[in-house]
Amino acid sequence: MAGQILNVTKTFQKLTISSRCKLVGTIINPFKEHELQVLNSSSTRNTNFFNKLPAHDLWKGITSVSNAGKKRGRGKNVSKSKIKDLNRGQVIGLGKANIIWPGLSAPIIRGKELVEQHQLPEDPEREKKLVQLRDQMGIVKRQKLSPIERGWSGSKMPGRSIGGPDPIGEDTFEGFDTKVLELKTVFNMKGNLGRKRRQSALVVTGNGKGLAGFALAKGNEARIALRKAKNRSAQKLMHIKLFKNHTVCHDFFSQFGSTKIFVSQKPEGHGLVCHRAIKTICEVIGIKNLHAKVEGSTNVGKVMKAFFLGLISQKTPEEIAEEKKLHLVQICKESNYFPTVIASPTECRKAQEIPKDEILDFKQYCFDGKVVLQKKKFPPFYTKYKSYEIYLKKQEKFRNQAEVKRNLIAEYGEIRSFLTDKYPECRQYRREKKVEENEEAEA
Amino acid sequence: MAALRHISRKVFTTFLKPETRPKSETCAICIRLLNYSSIEYDEKHDPAQKFFNKEVQSLLKDLTRVDLSKVNRKRKLGARRLENPEYKFMTDEELKQATEEAIQKSEELLQIPPVVSVRKPLNHVFARDPALQGLEESKMVFTDITFGIKDAERLIVVREIDGTLREAEWELKNRMNQLYFPKKGRSLKPPKMFYGEYLDNLLERKEYEFVLDRACIQFEPNDPDYQRVVSITYQHINDHDGFDYLRSTRHFGALTFFLAWHKNIDNLLLELIETSHIEEAIKLLDLFSKLQAVNYEKAEDLDKIEEYISKFSNKKAALELGFQAYKDLARQRKELEDGIKVAHGLG
Repeated sequence: MAGQILNVTKTFQKLTISSRCKLVGTIINPFKEHELQVLNSSSTRNTNFFNKLPAHDLWKGITSVSNAGKKRGRGKNVSKSKIKDLNRGQVIGLGKANIIWPGLSAPIIRGKELVEQHQLPEDPEREKKLVQLRDQMGIVKRQKLSPIERGWSGSKMPGRSIGGPDPIGEDTFEGFDTKVLELKTVFNMKGNLGRKRRQSALVVTGNGKGLAGFALAKGNEARIALRKAKNRSAQKLMHIKLFKNHTVCHDFFSQFGSTKIFVSQKPEGHGLVCHRAIKTICEVIGIKNLHAKVEGSTNVGKVMKAFFLGLISQKTPEEIAEEKKLHLVQICKESNYFPTVIASPTECRKAQEIPKDEILDFKQYCFDGKVVLQKKKFPPFYTKYKSYEIYLKKQEKFRNQAEVKRNLIAEYGEIRSFLTDKYPECRQYRREKKVEENEEAEA
Repeated sequence: MAALRHISRKVFTTFLKPETRPKSETCAICIRLLNYSSIEYDEKHDPAQKFFNKEVQSLLKDLTRVDLSKVNRKRKLGARRLENPEYKFMTDEELKQATEEAIQKSEELLQIPPVVSVRKPLNHVFARDPALQGLEESKMVFTDITFGIKDAERLIVVREIDGTLREAEWELKNRMNQLYFPKKGRSLKPPKMFYGEYLDNLLERKEYEFVLDRACIQFEPNDPDYQRVVSITYQHINDHDGFDYLRSTRHFGALTFFLAWHKNIDNLLLELIETSHIEEAIKLLDLFSKLQAVNYEKAEDLDKIEEYISKFSNKKAALELGFQAYKDLARQRKELEDGIKVAHGLG
């Protein structure tokens, strides 16, 4: 300790105090300023609301409302965006007047010179920064999801992907992806706790190649429930048969409770035209083209179960051919109605061996002998109106306009008429592209 | 023309050999090969008679090497989305019958577009009536639109401003026919894809089938424009070994006929030998002998090829090498087969 003091005194000895430097400035003479004050008397009360209560109570009184108060409708204007901590961004020693206080806002010694207290020119930025900081206070920005990450609705979890299941020991779930179907709050009455609230998550996981599973799990927090459900679904995987790795094997009907689903196979490029839950399940399984109609209850859990039941009970074309003992032949319009054999049995039946009442229509066979009711589509109401007739008549002259425009542009590079040669100044107006400005900006 | 191109290419390659080029200079050499020029079937040697000969037709069909799955592959028909496929249960007999019907249908798709000589210009004048001079400010075209007349036989005449009544030229005839009796897919004016850089671009992208199909729709087979587009495409295919693009299409027969007619089958023959399709190579030589009226002295298959190479080919070295390689391969295969037979105790 003594040694340190000695060092300090040594350094002070080395320093030189210049004659310009006067330390008087720091000492303010109180008498000088009050010399000319007029003496007047007024009564003061020294106890008031602000010095009776501690700061945190005052703060609380302004920024919050009691529960009872809230029920009575008090404190409607209190919101987080209005609560501002004015101390934030302010540091002791740094203020509006940009004064350097050695020992407070600056070191006492810089190099070999003693720093003296002096005023710098005012910083206009400081005020702006403080205002900006205060403006930002209380505004919580919601995280924005990219359109790819987004689920069915906004930043809600259903429909969103939460990654593959966690590895178990050395077994990793490579290529798996999990999607949330349902995340909701559920309540349970407990003996000692009363109404207890938990999160319930329904997720489906799969590898996009026909292996998928689903599970439901609960947890105190959404995160925990999702993790539990994700890992549980990985324990309940099932194989799902796909047709050419892009669609279901055949049309089928399946039912769970009052939820009925009619699923039909579709060719490449059709996409997933179905309930959003079915779409999410298909994405996880690896089905790319399908049409599904849900009838009855559209409860997500029931839709999912009905769909999985249907998928599991599918038969592959080979199984169908083997069961029927007939060739299964695909006929496409796009391939010139050429009969393509999809599957053949080991032994094919002859025409005489087929009983008369056997179902030979493939679609009917898929629906177990039932026929799907196709409701007649009526023309829309407005087609009966006179005004629609007038509209159609007016529109008729435009019927080939798009094609004519396209051909003209292909041939002449512009839209023109038979009069263009005679009146070359009559041209379709086209706004010139702003090329130069961009170039300047780039330069 | 082909010979000229061949020579020019030889000159080109010898001049640009790496040894002859100065090594230090790093200049980019941009030399375009000679553009393809149109080769028409002229009237003096009408190809139609030989083309429609049954034997020639069957040879051309055999050379097409039809793969039904390629002929009936899924095509885009212009609809927004593909139609739902239909599924059927079939017994053996039904499947056989359906397949036969489908094969017959695909025969229609494989009909070779006719090869005929280019048409003569029309300039028949019916009457000259100087009295009508100055009556009208524009020409008048009269078209006979009686039902049931063939487009080629339709009477279309023009009354000129000077009073001359003459037969319409071919271009006008086609336009009037398309106007009154439009054919699906044919446009009034030929599209730009058949001209200049657009055609070059398509050929560079190897869209041979597209060009040829569209040309078949747009033009009549005796149209000089048709023969120009088609001959340029064939030459491009021949030079870039794009034969596989046309196999199993209706155009392969016409391509082979074109090459054999103009004594330019070396590239095709080489490709056939290299891919060990020796039967097709022999058929190609038969076709060549039929079209060029030459006879081979030897009747043996492989000898025929040798004779062709020594007598008629322009690419002797490459063909001989390829043929030798084929013979070696065939010998090795035979040895292997014999070895397997011996190993199985059959030999």
